[in-house]
Amino acid sequence: MRTYTLTRGRTTPRHLLGLETVLEHGPGRPGPGQAEECERILALCRERRRSVTELAGRLCRPVTAVKILVSDLLDADALVVPVTAPYAATDTDADARPSPQLLAALSAGLKRKWPDAMAHPQAG
Amino acid sequence: MPWPTPRPDDPATVLRTEPRPHTVAPTVLKVVIAGGFGAGKTTAVGAVSEITPLSTEEYLTEASTGVDSLAGVEAKRTTTVAFDFGRLTLPDAPVPLELFLFGTPGQDRFVDLWYDLSRSAVGAVVLLDTRRLESSFTPVSFFEDIGLPFVVAINEFDGAHRYHPEQVRTALKLPARIPVVACDARNPNHVAGVLLTLVDHAVKTTPTINLQDA
Ligand SMILES: Nc1nc2c(ncn2[C@@H]2O[C@H](COP(=O)(O)OP(=O)(O)OP(=O)(O)O)[C@@H](O)[C@H]2O)c(=O)[nH]1
Ligand SMILES: [Mg+2]
Repeated sequence: MRTYTLTRGRTTPRHLLGLETVLEHGPGRPGPGQAEECERILALCRERRRSVTELAGRLCRPVTAVKILVSDLLDADALVVPVTAPYAATDTDADARPSPQLLAALSAGLKRKWPDAMAHPQAG
Repeated sequence: MPWPTPRPDDPATVLRTEPRPHTVAPTVLKVVIAGGFGAGKTTAVGAVSEITPLSTEEYLTEASTGVDSLAGVEAKRTTTVAFDFGRLTLPDAPVPLELFLFGTPGQDRFVDLWYDLSRSAVGAVVLLDTRRLESSFTPVSFFEDIGLPFVVAINEFDGAHRYHPEQVRTALKLPARIPVVACDARNPNHVAGVLLTLVDHAVKTTPTINLQDA
């Protein structure tokens, strides 16, 4: 199977990566003998930050396979996970939902982008 | 209230190796768009996304080993699931935000993927084609069960019998607090309006947490 070759037989990514984890181009160089897909991942991330899902979609490879390659590139510091602003009011819980402040910011941002969009008023 | 800046001493935000310039990436928020076959999921994602929706594949094993392993590749019952990805930046928001949209099929064999997509999400939109009401039963009960805020959006196809949102609410046995709205999935203003409805709904269902640092 092609994917199996791509990941050199590995089936599980070394890093805990979410579908939405964003990757940024880093200072390191990948080691020799990397799959050609690794160069494509780096080229895409040099243009802008990309999520795991976006990379998988652009490479037409399954998400898990891309997570395995991304893990290699993270180990080589060729990719890094950028610092992001705190996500939820408490960042102790990985499953935390976005804070009310973030939701308010999202609402404001959407309204600025689509001034004609209307939230449907809801009873209750 | 100003948004708190990342705390460099927080282990979750420390860079793994040598210091790099502290480029602070926009905060990513996720919304799941679920719906039955042909309900207009890809169209809705594409209406507001800044990129053409990408179709992304992931493995799916019928036994719920989770999607994070290729171990099931040789197993007979491994299939792949395709889901849509779109994104949009909101640089004018009070804090820089990027919104990720995930469009996902509505069958119950995809629940492993839904768990992954739902983690830390703002909420979900269940897109509904009134010609196939029953295809939204599974996503509706999934999001109800895991407590993720969701709204139901009726995609009004030409020629389809127009149901009043209240008829849909009755058919899906939705409580009054769940918004049911109509939209045209091709219209960016409509889709943005559905997202706004979802955000408003999510605000109402988010427990208020005291910010210790504030
Ligand atoms: N008239 C009308 N057509 C629509 C609307 N939304 C989607 N369509 C059309 O319906 C068809 C299916 O829409 P898609 O967005 O591909 O639906 P989907 O849910 O992604 O479909 P699958 O991924 O195949 O399950 C496309 O030809 C769209 O152009 C709508 O609001 N009105
Ligand atoms: Mg589609």
